[in-house]
Amino acid sequence: MKTGFQRLSDWPASAIKAGSVALVALVGLVDYLTGVDVSVTLFYLVPISLGTWFAGRSTGLLLAGASALVWLVADVLCRAVVGHPFVPIWNSVTLSLGFSVVAFLLGALKDRNEDLEQTVLERTRKLRDEIAERVRAERELKETNVALTTAREDSQRSFADLQEAHSELQRTQFRLIESAKLESVGRMAAGVAHEVKNPLMTLSLGADYFLNRHTENPAEAVLVQDMKEAIHRASNIINILLDYSRPRPLQLTSQEINRVIEDSLTLVRHQLNKGRVTVVSELRTDLPPLILDRTRIEHGLVNLFLNALNAMPEGGTLTVRTSLTTPAGNGSNSPRCVIVEVEDTGCGIAPENLSKIFEPFFTTKQPGQGTGLGLAIVRKIMDIHGGTISFHNRPEGGVRATLKFNIEPKESL
Amino acid sequence: MNTTKRILVVDDEPGVTRSLKLNLEAGGGYEVTIENHANQALTTARHIRPDLILLDVMMSETDGGEVAARMEADPLLRGTPIIFLTAIVSNEETGGHEMLKGDHAFIAKPVDLGELKRSIQDHILS
Repeated sequence: MKTGFQRLSDWPASAIKAGSVALVALVGLVDYLTGVDVSVTLFYLVPISLGTWFAGRSTGLLLAGASALVWLVADVLCRAVVGHPFVPIWNSVTLSLGFSVVAFLLGALKDRNEDLEQTVLERTRKLRDEIAERVRAERELKETNVALTTAREDSQRSFADLQEAHSELQRTQFRLIESAKLESVGRMAAGVAHEVKNPLMTLSLGADYFLNRHTENPAEAVLVQDMKEAIHRASNIINILLDYSRPRPLQLTSQEINRVIEDSLTLVRHQLNKGRVTVVSELRTDLPPLILDRTRIEHGLVNLFLNALNAMPEGGTLTVRTSLTTPAGNGSNSPRCVIVEVEDTGCGIAPENLSKIFEPFFTTKQPGQGTGLGLAIVRKIMDIHGGTISFHNRPEGGVRATLKFNIEPKESL
Repeated sequence: MNTTKRILVVDDEPGVTRSLKLNLEAGGGYEVTIENHANQALTTARHIRPDLILLDVMMSETDGGEVAARMEADPLLRGTPIIFLTAIVSNEETGGHEMLKGDHAFIAKPVDLGELKRSIQDHILS
């Protein structure tokens, strides 16, 4: 709220000038009326100060001159010429000088005050601009921060996608290498089959001939029988190669997986008993039927059972378990799967070999004891059924093979 | 009545044909003729008029399928049972036994002698 003094500054300069002149005249009148004995000279400073402050230094100087003149007139009229006439004139000039000095100094003070006000205004404006600039910068910073956070989240997502793509690429590359191996195995198998089976046939028929001659020497009979077995083993390896490398159409039918498992166990029961392996079946009874090639799956299961048997040379326990996966989360779209687990209590798989067990021709058995194709065949059988197989060492010892079958088979099957 | 059956064995591996002849004739009941040249197989067959032909599939001169087609086209030989011997099918594919593909029987090499004899017997009787 403005004071009365501040409100004067809003008045126009002409009004201030007129008012000041009127005040000078009023003081002059009072000066005259009060006579020489009462001094009101200092009151002339009021209009001079007001005029200087509110209407400028030149107005102040004019008012100083006018006041000296009015004082002279009042003084002369009061005294009616006493003494030398030069005295009042001298006094008037001196007064005029004094008034002018006051007007000048006040004007200077006023100028300085205005400069200060200007500086304060200027600085306030600058400060306001700076504050506005800072607010704007802060807002931009916030926006940039939000954009950066979004960009960081995007890049994190992109990184995760990239990692997934990289893993997929690695898996594809691995499969490609395996199929390349498979293709070369296929080419080799057909050539080898022809070149090896003919000589094997000659040997086999030769052994048959001697076998049928009923030799009197039992050692000779055993020798010929050994020859037959050696030929059979060699021929079997060629057959495994041919079966592994040549794709044959699947004979898909609806099957109870528990029945397939029990029949596969029957096929190897004798060998398991001989190897002192106890079989534990934990088969869930409410499993849905699966669409699969029974012969192939039996082949795969038999391979797994024989692998387990080989892993337990001192005997042990073979556990076969079936279960059903529960849907993950609420309303998840992930399909339900039938899980078949085959566990042994053997020596487990060395960690450095876990990644190699599905490679064709990888074996830890002694030369001549295995082709290294058993698990590669199981994996291939699971692949063509759209299922998966994985191996883990069990904490309590031995290995767990987990086969996962989709209940809804792949359309491409 | 002559019960000896004539069998023609066509295979470019002399070891195979010799051992087949030795084994089949050892049991009696079969008279085996050997032909190691696929191109001569038709002429030899026309000459001996076999009761059954054992025919290798992959031979260097002409493949077994071609030889079989020529025999089917020959009025003298048409209807003679043919059993193919092949090295490029596995036991899983033949189920360890004779496999029929179209009108023809296939046996995987190396053959099981007992299985071969049973198969020959079946085809000659039919």
